[in-house]
Amino acid sequence: MSGWDRVRSSSSRLTGIGGGFSRLSNMNDRLPSSRSVRLGRVQPQAPGYRTIHCNDREANLPVRFKGNSVSTTKYNILTFLPKGLFEQVTWCEPMRRVANLYFLMISILSTTPISPVHPVTNVVPLSLVLFISLVKEAFEDWKRLLNDRVINSTPIDVLQGQRWESIPWKKLQVGDIVRQVKQDGFFPADVLFLASSNPDGVCYIETANLDGETNLKIRKALERTWDYLTPEKASEFKGEIQCEQPNNSLYTFTGNMIIEKQTLPLSPNELLLRGCSLRNTEYIVGAVIFTGHETKVMMNSMNVPSKRSTLERKLDKLILTLFGTLFCMCLIGAIGSGIFINRKYYYLGLDQSVENQFNPNNRFVVAVLTMFTLITLYSTIIPISLYVSIEMIKFIQSTQFINKDLHMYHIETNTPALARTSNLNEELGQVEYIFSDKTGTLTRNLMEFFKCSIGGEVYGTGITEAEKGGADQTGMKIEEMPRSATSLHEKGFNFDDPRLMRGAWKNEPNPDTLKEFFRCLAICHTVLPEGDESPEKIAYQAASPDEAALVTAAKNFGFFFYRRTPTTIMVRESHVEKMGKIQDVSYEILNVLEFNSTRKRQSVICRYPNGRLVLYCKGADSVIYERLAEGNNGMKNMSREHLEQFGSAGLRTLCLAYRDLATELYESWNEKFVQAKSSLRDREKKLDEVAELIEKDLILIGCTAIEDKLQEGVPTCIETLSRAGIKIWVLTGDKMETAINIAYACSLINNDMKQFIISSETDAIREVESRGDPMEVARFIKDAVKQELRKCLEEAEHYLCRVTGPKLALIIDGKCLMYALDRSLRGNFLKLSLICSSVVCCRVSPLQKAQVTSLVKKGAQKITLSIGDGANDVSMIQAAHVGVGISGLEGMQAVMASDFAIAQFRYLTDLLLVHGRWSYLRICKVVTYFFYKNLTFTLTQFWFTFHTGFSGQRFYDDWFQSLYNVIFTALPVIVLGLFDKDVSASLSKKYPELYKEGIRNSFFKWRVVGVWAFFSLYQSLVFYYFVTASSRNGHNLSGKIFGLWDVSTMAFTCVVVTVNVRLLMACNSITRWHHISVGGSILAWFVFIFIYSGIMTPRDRQENVFFVIYVLMSTFYFYLTLLLVPIVALLGDFLYQGIQRWFFPYDYQIVQEIHQHEPDDSSRAELEIQNHLTPDEERSYAIAQLPRETSKHTGFAFDSPGYESFFASQAGVRAPQKAWDVARRASMRSRTKTSKKN
Amino acid sequence: MTSKGATSSGGGDDGATKRNSKKPQYSRFTQQELPACKPILTPGWVITTFIFIGIIFIPIGLVSLFASERVVEIVDRYDEDCIPAKYSEDMVAFIQSSKTNKTCSRTLTVPKLMKSPVYVYYQLDNFYQNHRRYVKSRSDKQLRSKAYASETSTCAPEATTGNGSAIVPCGLIAWSLFNDTYGFSVNKKALEVSKKNIAWKSDKESKFGSDVFPKNFQSGGLIGGGKLDSSKPLSEQEDLMVWMRTAALPTFRKLYGKIEVDLEADEKITVVIQNNYNTYGFGGKKKLVISTTSWIGGKNDFLGIAYLMVGGMCLFLAISFILMYVIRPRPLGDPSFLSWNRNPAGHFN
Repeated sequence: MSGWDRVRSSSSRLTGIGGGFSRLSNMNDRLPSSRSVRLGRVQPQAPGYRTIHCNDREANLPVRFKGNSVSTTKYNILTFLPKGLFEQVTWCEPMRRVANLYFLMISILSTTPISPVHPVTNVVPLSLVLFISLVKEAFEDWKRLLNDRVINSTPIDVLQGQRWESIPWKKLQVGDIVRQVKQDGFFPADVLFLASSNPDGVCYIETANLDGETNLKIRKALERTWDYLTPEKASEFKGEIQCEQPNNSLYTFTGNMIIEKQTLPLSPNELLLRGCSLRNTEYIVGAVIFTGHETKVMMNSMNVPSKRSTLERKLDKLILTLFGTLFCMCLIGAIGSGIFINRKYYYLGLDQSVENQFNPNNRFVVAVLTMFTLITLYSTIIPISLYVSIEMIKFIQSTQFINKDLHMYHIETNTPALARTSNLNEELGQVEYIFSDKTGTLTRNLMEFFKCSIGGEVYGTGITEAEKGGADQTGMKIEEMPRSATSLHEKGFNFDDPRLMRGAWKNEPNPDTLKEFFRCLAICHTVLPEGDESPEKIAYQAASPDEAALVTAAKNFGFFFYRRTPTTIMVRESHVEKMGKIQDVSYEILNVLEFNSTRKRQSVICRYPNGRLVLYCKGADSVIYERLAEGNNGMKNMSREHLEQFGSAGLRTLCLAYRDLATELYESWNEKFVQAKSSLRDREKKLDEVAELIEKDLILIGCTAIEDKLQEGVPTCIETLSRAGIKIWVLTGDKMETAINIAYACSLINNDMKQFIISSETDAIREVESRGDPMEVARFIKDAVKQELRKCLEEAEHYLCRVTGPKLALIIDGKCLMYALDRSLRGNFLKLSLICSSVVCCRVSPLQKAQVTSLVKKGAQKITLSIGDGANDVSMIQAAHVGVGISGLEGMQAVMASDFAIAQFRYLTDLLLVHGRWSYLRICKVVTYFFYKNLTFTLTQFWFTFHTGFSGQRFYDDWFQSLYNVIFTALPVIVLGLFDKDVSASLSKKYPELYKEGIRNSFFKWRVVGVWAFFSLYQSLVFYYFVTASSRNGHNLSGKIFGLWDVSTMAFTCVVVTVNVRLLMACNSITRWHHISVGGSILAWFVFIFIYSGIMTPRDRQENVFFVIYVLMSTFYFYLTLLLVPIVALLGDFLYQGIQRWFFPYDYQIVQEIHQHEPDDSSRAELEIQNHLTPDEERSYAIAQLPRETSKHTGFAFDSPGYESFFASQAGVRAPQKAWDVARRASMRSRTKTSKKN
Repeated sequence: MTSKGATSSGGGDDGATKRNSKKPQYSRFTQQELPACKPILTPGWVITTFIFIGIIFIPIGLVSLFASERVVEIVDRYDEDCIPAKYSEDMVAFIQSSKTNKTCSRTLTVPKLMKSPVYVYYQLDNFYQNHRRYVKSRSDKQLRSKAYASETSTCAPEATTGNGSAIVPCGLIAWSLFNDTYGFSVNKKALEVSKKNIAWKSDKESKFGSDVFPKNFQSGGLIGGGKLDSSKPLSEQEDLMVWMRTAALPTFRKLYGKIEVDLEADEKITVVIQNNYNTYGFGGKKKLVISTTSWIGGKNDFLGIAYLMVGGMCLFLAISFILMYVIRPRPLGDPSFLSWNRNPAGHFN
């Protein structure tokens, strides 16, 4: 479908960065696909180089450089018709092409005497279909033309004489000196950077249009040219540039600039490419090097691989089946004709000179030629207008319904949903696996201090999304506590407890523990304060958002950390001794024992101003508890319980502990520490060992719970989707703990589930790794993964056999995944993961995300959907059947690669359960109905063939046959495809299980098609035999006899009426458009036949049907038959539908019945979900409420993306950054920018 | 987000934000909330529909059947009987010979009173008037107007005579015109058979021109069938019109003429048949049909029986559905029928 999906590009005026952005980005994928050159692959270059005389148009004239005008249109007025038509038969989907070609062939065939029908029969439908396609092409091309015009006439300042003059882009020529003034403006051509308003001759550009990277890049002009900034100076510039010929390599450029006999080498660093935009720079001056279609961006055209829906691929099979049926019918007819033809039928004039087709002397030739005749005659069996109808339906579905759905409009970011392709609407109704990114998709990447447990007491009254989701699930209503006056919500802090806030903690029973807790928060971290040293204005720069949240929490509790020096931490403590007193305390930091994934803890040894030596430690509960001093078990157990509670609520926990150190003890330890620090071999390991010596006998203070803020409504959405039979996999680059936590928070995993964890973070693997032989490591991990997989699979299958087995979850990390995806293990991995109801893959690379997606897509043949927001999700989005991008925030890459863009994860519910399900349902109905109506119609012809001596005589008039598909039955089916609704949107969401019918593909199985085929067989028999049998004798009192055309007109009338009424029977909801279209179609037939049979034309036609309708209507026979035949024909379907609904109801039918008497929810008011618990549910809820003996999950997570690099960068060493990290962070920056703009 | 909220155009305070807003406009169409009726095919509806169809159809069927039964029809197959015994081995030779006496006399008994007008039909069997080669072998233009006399391009192989002049009316259909004739007499008194008004009015008035006269007709080597009076315009040749309204099926009846007097019951009608038409070559049958009509037309039980059968079947189905409803009712909208409730494994999601 090269057709409407081009709309993808033209309708992709994306939200955010402004019109120009999308305009240019469109240009990228809008280029004619014939020039599909993949980004990065370098085309063979033209030999030689070009010489450009800067600022000298005359000198450049002889070379005839191309202009800067750009045209992205596919056609012009002359080429439109031939090229457009040619594309219709060569350049579209396979089956559609076959259908078009078939009709083209048939049309040609119908001009020969072989054809029983006038060419018009096949030419009209074909040309109408082509006409519609061409109109659409023309419309799109027109839009492109307008777009080009806008781009081409964008003004740009060009140096003319000594002044800047504004001229449109298209007038720009190679060698011109231009000034790019507009901040965030796009470069009009590939420009050599000469001078910038910034000092040092630098400018910043954004290259998102070229490579999708949103971070700013620095370009630096040659020092020699820095001065040419003002028009006066610039006009003096007379350089000559020798550079390579235009090519599509974005990252290379070689050339020389010759100024005053001085040759300066040029590099890509001085080149500003068209498509990039200027940032953070007032203006720049440059010389144009490549223009128009010779710019690098234009020479790169991305051919977006278009996706086809599974249903459409199945449709191809159906069409093939139809071709098969057609062949069989023709074969039967052909054999019959060979047998029939005989000279004894003298009235046929079969004498010696008869043409080959009827020559009894050569029956084989007769059969062969009749075969062709019949192919022409039965051509209606191929629904040629099907594709164009489906295209129209899908186009309206996506542009009118999905894009304009108010339920998917996000007010905060002002983002509506966007269907970037209309190919995949119905695919949305069959998704079985969702692969979701975590950060930005499920979570907001916002850590907030949410709760804490201090000295065995829980503080914090908030309720997490996960708890809300859990409550929804069990049908409980949680009363959200009204926020008290003391509650505070700032970035990183969302905590409310009057017992702690505003210094009230002093009145708690154990203020000293609280104080330790807060000090620990304020001291034990590696955060850098930035900005004003006031609580309101300070910004904390932390390697991990968790740390920032903790320090912010300390600030809000009155321990404001405001300054860090290499050896001290300054904390402004209020309310320490008595109310209102504020005191700056400086703690001397003696040692920092850093966090790493093995230690899972971090300690700081500090000296109070009064000389007290304390070690503060925070870390995972598992490592802290091991190192606690004896005693106070009550409090430890309390805290553990709280940890579990937090963990199952999806919060990220850290335990805090401290230890008072004696000076001597510290001194002796410090010596060892210094030694370890200065050791040259295995420093890390030694440091860890030394740390162990002091991190013991700790005293537990409490624990913190940080909420990794989920996007709104995520748990509910996930819960709904999983009820819909969709399995959700989380694929994230985060750490395992974080991932598990989020899985808990999203209720993907809970404590009732059996979890299989395949991790590379085991001691055995670590040990092998420490030995450092990569081959051995690989072998070892592979073996480990293999064994683990086998073990898990056995266990899983064991559970699977048991009816009441627990649900299963699989958690695997990237390193293990690498081996699990290995060819030999892939099968087991797939088997295991399909058994599990949730799968979490952590620490995965973008490539692995795509691999996992393809594994399920290709290996399990399931329909997959990927959703993500960042550049790291692009590959996964492209790999899945349906790619969904999160739009509205930042980073366009995911959106640009996606098929659908929504603003929030929770809109998936609407996108899948409402739009997807409906689209699926509608397209299924449209396809099966098309199949039915064409088959029925053609079969009546087929039966007639048996009574015409297999001569291929047509039953219907040419025009009847040609207009049958395009007028008399065309519109209702489109209305059906647009408006049919089985249950309302709110019910679709209330009963997500209805979605399973799509996953099972209940509505487009061969069985369903078979039923339709059966009834079209039945109906065609009724049409043919009832009409002919009853028409035999005289009619009316006058006893006159009908001829062939009277009978066929009668039959055709019955067919048109029946087929249209049958459509109404297939509808679940009947709007007035149904009435209008169905009534209109039947009426159209009558109007047509009244006129058509009422007139005689001088044109060359046999007046076969002259007056037939009037003759018919003058008899009672007409009315009796018109009542009888459609009813008899429809009785079969009616009976089938009645029995089907009665005995084998579809789920949606039950739901319809349940809500039969409810008023049409025209406002789609959310239906209140009733809290009737079934006994089973009550029991399960009661079980869920029972205290658990052993809970596995305590929710430890401490996220530090680039943690190591943070300190490394302080030390001046740059850790290698991963590409997606860069992009992610860059996009974070631009988010603030765009929000400001808005 | 209710419709109210969406449609309210705001108090003007958000005018500025509204302008930039990409919020889709609310319309019932885009939100897919068009008012619709949602028919549900409940057992009640199924039963009601069946009963309703039954109640409507049975009377119609009875009326039609009654009408059809009132029609008196005499069918007489004469093709074989009209061949003299000595030709029974080679009927084709008999019919093709110009020397044989083709007159044949039949006696028919009127079973019941046949009120005038009584229609006379001939019925042919195994005659493919709908064969593709046959159907298209005509020229409607030529039939319509004198001006198009030479429009014979579609008439092959009976377009022109050997010397190239156009045949009017051309084509196989006209060429194979039926040419048996029937003479009726009751008690030695001849019954007049009217050939007026046996073709549809539209044919007579528009399709067959009053200025078109037969020309070169049946003058070729092989005679297919009847000849035409070349002094009468085609618009008066109703036999031809009837014949040229080609039949839909290979077995067909065509109107021959009308007898404008009543035929009493048990009267003996003598039919003198000129058995000219060759159906023997292709094994067809020829029948003479004498029939009255009712409002429904000739004798045709099909419609009546079909209506009765369908009506009866609907009533039967209605009763069986009612029985089923009593024996094994399915409560409407019972959630326990939902697949996820039927399947105990799946409901704990």
